[in-house]
This record gives sequence, structure tokens and C-alpha cells, in this order.
Amino acid sequence: MAMVDEPLYPIAVLIDELKNEDIQLRLNSIRRLSTIARALGEERTRKELIPFLSENNDDEDEVLLAMAEELGVFIPYVGGVEHAHVLLPPLETLSTVEETCVRDKAVESLCRIGAQMKENDIVDFFIPVVKRLASGEWFTARVSSCGLFHIAYPSATDPLKTELRTIYGQLCQDDMPMVRRAAASNLGKFAATVEQSHLKTEIMSIFDDLTQDDQDSVRLLAVEGCAALGKLLEPQDCVAHILPVIVNFSQDKSWRVRYMVANQLYELCEAVGPEPTRADLVPAYVRLLRDNEAEVRIAAAGKVTKFCRILSPQLAIQHILPCVKELSSDSSQHVRSALASVIMGMAPVLGKDATIAELLPIFLSLLKDEFPDVRLNIISKLDQVNQVIGIDLLSQSLLPAIVELAEDRHWRVRLAIIEYIPLLASQLGVGFFDDKLGALCMQWLEDKVFSIREAAANNLKRLAEEFGPEWAMQHIIPQVLEKINNPHYLYRMTILQAISLLAPVMGADITCQKLLPVVINSSKDRVPNIKFNVAKVLQSLVPILDQSVVDKTVKPCLVELSEDPDVDVRYYANQALQACDQIMMSS
Amino acid sequence: MSPRENGSVGKPNASPRSPSGVAAGEGRSREDAFIQKVDICCTVYDFADRGKDSPEKERKRQVLMSLVDSIGAAEEPLTEAMMSACVHMFRVNLFRVFPPKVRSATVGASETEEDEPFFDPSWYHLQVVYELLLRFVTSPFVDPKVARKYVDSSFVSKLLDLFDSDDPRERDCLKTVLHRIYGKFMGNRPFIRKAVSNIFYRFVSEADHHNGIAELLEVFGSVISGFAKPLKEEHKLFLWKALIPLHKPKTVGVYLPQLTYCITQFIEKEPKLAGTVIRGLLKYWPVTNSQKEMMFLGELEEVLELIDMAEFQKCMVPLFRRIANCLNSSHFQVAERALFLWNNEHLFDMISQNRQVIVPLVYPALERNARLHWNQSVLNVTMNVRKMFFDMDERLLLACQSNFQVEEEKRAATEERRRLTWEQLERNADAFQPANTSFPAAPSSAPPVVPTVT
Repeated sequence: MAMVDEPLYPIAVLIDELKNEDIQLRLNSIRRLSTIARALGEERTRKELIPFLSENNDDEDEVLLAMAEELGVFIPYVGGVEHAHVLLPPLETLSTVEETCVRDKAVESLCRIGAQMKENDIVDFFIPVVKRLASGEWFTARVSSCGLFHIAYPSATDPLKTELRTIYGQLCQDDMPMVRRAAASNLGKFAATVEQSHLKTEIMSIFDDLTQDDQDSVRLLAVEGCAALGKLLEPQDCVAHILPVIVNFSQDKSWRVRYMVANQLYELCEAVGPEPTRADLVPAYVRLLRDNEAEVRIAAAGKVTKFCRILSPQLAIQHILPCVKELSSDSSQHVRSALASVIMGMAPVLGKDATIAELLPIFLSLLKDEFPDVRLNIISKLDQVNQVIGIDLLSQSLLPAIVELAEDRHWRVRLAIIEYIPLLASQLGVGFFDDKLGALCMQWLEDKVFSIREAAANNLKRLAEEFGPEWAMQHIIPQVLEKINNPHYLYRMTILQAISLLAPVMGADITCQKLLPVVINSSKDRVPNIKFNVAKVLQSLVPILDQSVVDKTVKPCLVELSEDPDVDVRYYANQALQACDQIMMSS
Repeated sequence: MSPRENGSVGKPNASPRSPSGVAAGEGRSREDAFIQKVDICCTVYDFADRGKDSPEKERKRQVLMSLVDSIGAAEEPLTEAMMSACVHMFRVNLFRVFPPKVRSATVGASETEEDEPFFDPSWYHLQVVYELLLRFVTSPFVDPKVARKYVDSSFVSKLLDLFDSDDPRERDCLKTVLHRIYGKFMGNRPFIRKAVSNIFYRFVSEADHHNGIAELLEVFGSVISGFAKPLKEEHKLFLWKALIPLHKPKTVGVYLPQLTYCITQFIEKEPKLAGTVIRGLLKYWPVTNSQKEMMFLGELEEVLELIDMAEFQKCMVPLFRRIANCLNSSHFQVAERALFLWNNEHLFDMISQNRQVIVPLVYPALERNARLHWNQSVLNVTMNVRKMFFDMDERLLLACQSNFQVEEEKRAATEERRRLTWEQLERNADAFQPANTSFPAAPSSAPPVVPTVT
């Protein structure tokens, strides 16, 4: 093409590309907006490119989304922060489109730009955008405006601040629930920028209105923001304003509201301090732990440890523990599972004696739960209890639980327990492990499911790391190598994989003496898949082995494989040979 | 006390106009008895536990049924107190919070049971309450002017919330009730339209789940068919802002027949709207979901059936670009469905009259299918369609054919040129020298626009 010498008009290129009917090309060119801007220079970017983009936003949502994102990082291309305001008009238009993703991205970019703008630029340019959007005709503009107040407010002058608060109050009473929901979910962010005095009065009255909205969906979002709002207030104000609301909500007829309360009650406890917590929030929490609806109990049970950490041990034992006992035999397995995932953390909170007297029986009964997730959740957090009471009290109950999980018919359960074996090994110690768990670890190598065999091989490596090569030499290597004679090639493949994982841990000598011969032998296997895996494993062993061994044993074997009738075997053998040469050259 | 007695109490000389004046004493006792029964029905029982309170539950059902009979057999207007009591009872029984979705008990079993409808155990009572509500809103003896005080926006709003019920039987009842309320309580109509729009907006833009979209649309099918001509701006806005975006959610298949019905109702009222609808369909056209794409093609055909020439010409270029894309779909059903559009006589007619525009748009797609499509049946139909164009206008087809070849040959060059352009831009950007060019009025070096294979 002879066009290299012709002058190029960057905007013309863009206009042309954006006219293309192939959306991929339009997207590509939007993704390279910064190139165009740099080619144009800052001034022409401001005067030509940005106005062009402001007017051309009639494209498909995907293109608009890309544009909204690019403009968010465009400040350097328009000449720095003092010119940042030129980016606002196109983003303002994008914040009003119908597609939620585009609007959200435009608001995000507006915030990003606004956060860098100078105070008087915010007043001159950003706040007018917020005001225009907030009074937009269609709800999309008003929804978008709600996410901008927290950027605008801190830089505003006092009269403007008053105006912004008033506008926000109006948005919270908008005719459309969509807008009220947006206002409710952004209230926390906005409130964080508002001065204490206004917080107590105006913001709290906005909050009160939202909590009494006739749409459940709006009330729900107001509750969601409760804790965030509570943390902004002085403790006594929080007690006066938020506490009654939340206590009320904890008995709401909608389970979704109670669920929200259950999820964030502990955060509110932090905000109000110990005394009101004891008087009001503990009873509310206890009610939620005994809620009729399982979903609410699930949420409450999942926070039991966090909640207890805030309370004194006596209060926890007196009020929460009885509920925990009930929950441990709850009719819903999901409740028990949620409880099991956090209950071990209560041990450090309650201390040794209470743990042995009160928690241990619960642990034991959960370890016998019929639902595998419950048992797994207990086992996964074993270390937390170990620190408090030691493992001995639990170990006798652990073993049957582990064995049963190890043989569960769902492979995902088996996989989960394998992941915890190294943790268990470190907690239980070598002795216990040798007696009870060693056989299980070998058994998994011959599981029917590949993922289990893979995890089993990995597990052996982690055990060898935990207990050291000497121990592995005795308890792992012989058993593993024995299995290389399995009649099924898939199991032989697992052993090869295990060897390549174990070799780095075991070191050069053992690899050379024990592992390598087995691998070399397998190169005579009748199954090509085994043979090319031999090539792969040999390649992985080269860095560990002495050069002489590589030359004497590995290479001849690979050369032989490289002449195999199977194309894949030849391919991997050649790969491995090349790797050998490279390593030799570099050393 | 039996309901029959109630009915006969005030009968002799009670004229509908002044029920309370004539036999105040008797009227009073009829009213009292009625309200007493309604009050009994305000106790809500727990159906989670089957055995609990069963005699009371049975009694309540009996009382509810007797109320159904007595409204059905009423021969004089219900008093305001009776209406108020009824609506209160409806609120107490019907307006409830739905329980959370049941989590599946075992890990593997969930997939098969996913779409099982849920049947509310308290349906034993609810069914009769709905029956009563329906009698209430349809009874000629319930004066809408008085009842409106109780069947107000808050009542309607809560009723609309119930459309999210998991129980299909309940949604079915609600559909009928809402339809009747819309018919009888004229004052509530704007509110209902607004509230339903809000449900649609939320469903579309907050990516929510909603069980009752199909039922709401069904009610609106008849609401729309009742709109006066010419259509008000407000109603057209409803089409554009609330109905057309309903094509976006991935569950559109659940309610598409009802949605299409609503939309065709609009077009029948005002044929000019067909173009708007088609542009809307193109805006929400699915990119990866072939199942949805086939549904869209189906709806497109229905809309095109109704379109007139002027509107057709306004949107045919983007429309046939899209159809050309569908023709090349590697999902053979999509490709087939698109090819079958030519079997539609009305459409065929319009295509042949506008062939100078349309054939050049779709010819490259046909040619690509003929060369590359994997599916034999798509291949065959493609050949037929091409033959059809050939018979329609031989010269045009040959022109397209040679043009296609030229474009194909130029394509590699065009792509190379695009690459070079960007490369040079990149270089210019890196070594930017200000004021080397001025903004041109027309891009002289613009590469020709060429469709790329996707």
C-alpha cells in the first residue's frame, strides 16, 4: 500500500471505523481511542474528539460500554486534571441510556474523574451534571445521579451542600421505585461525606422514610445500609436512631428483611458499644438464631463466631451457646453446615474450659452429621480448636469421620477431604497419621475419578514435604512404586504423575536410585499414552538428576522413544530431548 | 346461620337505591351476620403443619364458601361496612411474604427438579378467598364508587406483588382478578399501568427473577386491545419503554407469546409502530443464544406480516443486515428459520419490490452459505432462495455475484490497509507533532466500507 506517505486524519479514521457495520471493528477502534487522542494531541482531543464522541452515542450497548470505560481513564489525553471537565458531557449522556451496564460504567467513570477534579471545577462542572441528571425526565438519569453525590458533596459550597442534600431527599421519595432503590443503596456512601450535624437530622429522616417505604424492595436496601450508616454516627446517636429500627426489623414479617438483619447485626454491635448490645442486640440476635425461616437461621448461624467475639465470654456462654446447641441439631442441613463452618472459631473466644465442657460435644455431634458438608466444615477448621484444647480429645471421633468422607460416593466430597489431609497430618502428627490415614492416601491413587487420583498424587507430595524425605522413603515411596504394575494404564499414569511430583522433594539420590528405574521401565509399556507420559516425566526429572545420569540413562531412553511408531510419543520424546540439550547448554 | 337466610332478609321492599333507609333493623342484621363471617375468615392458619387445627381449618373453608354463595346470590348492594370488612379479609389472607426457594437436599438431584412448580399448601383456603375476591370485584352489587375507597392503590399494589407467586394456580386467579379490577375500577387504571411498568422495568434492568410476567402480559393483551385510537403518547411510551425491553432477559421464552400478542395489538391499532418494534427487536437481538434467536425470527415474521410498505422501507437496511447474519448462523435451525422467511408471501412481495436494496444485502450471505455451510438442508434451501432471486431478477443477481467476487478479492487488501492505518496512527501518536494537519471536511483517504466475515 502506498498510503504510508499520505497524511492521516485521526478523527477521520475513527469516524470511518465507527461507521463499519462489523461491531467488532467498531469495538476495536473504541478500545484504541487513546491512540487517536495521542495522535491528535491534547488540544484537538478536547476540541474535536470529545465533542465528536458526545454526539455519536447511538451505537450498540457493547460499544457504548467500551466508550464509557475508556473515557474514565482519559484525563491524561485531554491535558490533565484542569481539563478533566471536558470529559463530563459524553459520560453524562451515557449515564442516561437504557442499558444498566453502560450506565453503571459511565457513573463509575464519572466518579473516577470527579475524584481527581479540583474543588472549583467540581462546583463549576461536576455538580451541574449531578443536578441535571437528578432532575432527568426518564428514571435512568435519576438512578445514575444517586451514585455521584458522594463525589460532588465534599467540594460543594455551603448553599450547594444544602441543595444537594435536599435533592437527595427528593430522590429518596421519587415516584419510581427504581430511583428510590438506587437512592437507598447509595445512601451509605453519600452519608459518609455529610457533616455530623446534618447526618443526625436530614440523613436520618431520609433513612426513616426509606425504612417505611411501601415497596419491600426499597425497605430491604435501607436495611442493607443500616450498619454502614450506624458506623458513621456517634455511638449514642446510633443507639437513639438506628438501634430501634434494627430491632424492629429483626421482627419484620418479611424473611428477607430479617435475613439482612441477621447478616449485619454484629457490625452494628461494633457501632453501638457493649451496653446496648447486651440489652437490645443480643435478644434480637437470639430471636434470629431461632427464626422460623431456615434462610434466616443460616445467615445468623454463619455469624455466630463474629458475634461472640464482640461479647464477653460469659454473655456468649449464657445467651448464644444454648442457641448454638439447638442449631447443631437443626432440621435444615444448610443451617448445620453454616454453623459448622464457623463454630470452631468459638473455641479461642470461649477459652479452654468452656470449649471442653460446652463446645466439644457439639463438635463431636457435628462430626457425625449425616450431611458430608457439615463434617467437612468441621474438619477444615481443626487448627482453631487444636490451639485451644489440643487434638487428642477429638482424634478418636475424627478418624471415623475422615474414613467415611474418604469413601463418600460423591467425588467432590472425597476431593474436599483430600485437600485437608496435609492440614490434618500436621495437626495430628506422624504417629496418628501412620496408623490410620496412610492406607487411605494410597487408596485414593486408585480412585475411579481422575480428579481424585490427581489430588491424591499432589497430596503425597505435600505429605512428603510435611514429614520429610526419610519418612516418605519408608511410608510413601515403596507403596507408590508397587502400584506401577496395575493392569489398567490410567492407574499406571497416576503413578508416573506422582513420581514426577515427588522427585523434587526426595532429591537427586533417591530419584536416581528408586524413581528413575521405574520410569525407564515404563518406557517399554505397551500403551502409547504411558510412553509419552514417560517422556514428559523424564523431561521434568532432568533438572534434578546428575548430568552423567541424564547422558547414560535418560537420553538413550528418550532416543528410543523418539523412534516410536506412535506420533505423539515421538513428539513428546523430541520435546524432552530438546529440553535436555537446553539444560546442558545453560549449565 | 345459613347463607340462604341472609339473602332473604332484606328482600321484600329493599330498592337498590336506599338499602339502609327502609328496613334498617333487618339490613343491620344482614350486615352484622355477613361481617361476623368475614371476621371468622380473618384468622390465618399454618398449613406447614398439616394436622394442626384441622377442624378450625375446615370450618373456615365452609364459611368462606358460604360467603362466596352469599355474594353470588346477593340481591341488593353490599353496604360500605361489608365491603370494608371483605377487603380487610382479602388483605389478611392474601398479602403474605413468599417463603424462600427450597434448597435442594442433595448435591446432584437439583438439576432435574429445578423447574417443578411449587404448590402452596394453604391453597385449600386461598383458592376460596380468590373465588370470593373475584365474585366481589365482578358483583353488580358492589358499587365501584364506594368500593374504590378500599380497593385502592395500596391494595392493587400488594395484589401485583403477588404475581411473583411460585404457584401457577395463584397466578392464574390473580390474572382474572386484575383484569376485572382494571375493567371495573376506572380510577385505578393509570395506577395499574404505572405499577406494572415498574415491575417490568425492575425485571429488565435489575436482572431480577419474576414468576408472573406472562400473566401480567396476558392481562395487558386485553388492556391494550381496549386502548382508544389514536393511541395516546403515554401508551406508546409503554410500548417503547416497558414492552420492547422485555425482549432482553434470557427467560424471554417463558412469556414471548403473550409479549408478541401485546405488541401486535399495538401495531394493529397503529401500523406506523411496526417500524419502531422492528428497530427494538434489532436492538435486543441475541448474539450468542440460538434458541432465543429463533424465537426472535418467529416474532419478526409476525410483525412483518402487519407492516406496510412505507414502514418496511424505513427499516429494511438494518433488518436485512441482521437477517443476512442469521442466514450464516452455524446453528442450522437459525439459518433455516431465516431462510424460511422467504416463504412468507407478504414478505416475499415486499422483498421483490425492494430487491435493488435487499438482494445486495443478503447475496453475500447466500454465497457464503453455498460455499461453506456445513448443513445439507441449509445448503439446499440456500440454493432455492438464490434460484428464487435469479428468477426474480437475473441481471441484479449477476451484478451482485460479480460484485461479491470483487469484494472478496479486495478484502485482504482492505484489512491490510486498516492494519497499516492503525500502525501509522500509532506512530503518529508516539511522535506527536502539533499542528501538522487540519481537520478535513471529508475523509479523502477513507478505505471503502466492506463487510467482513464473522
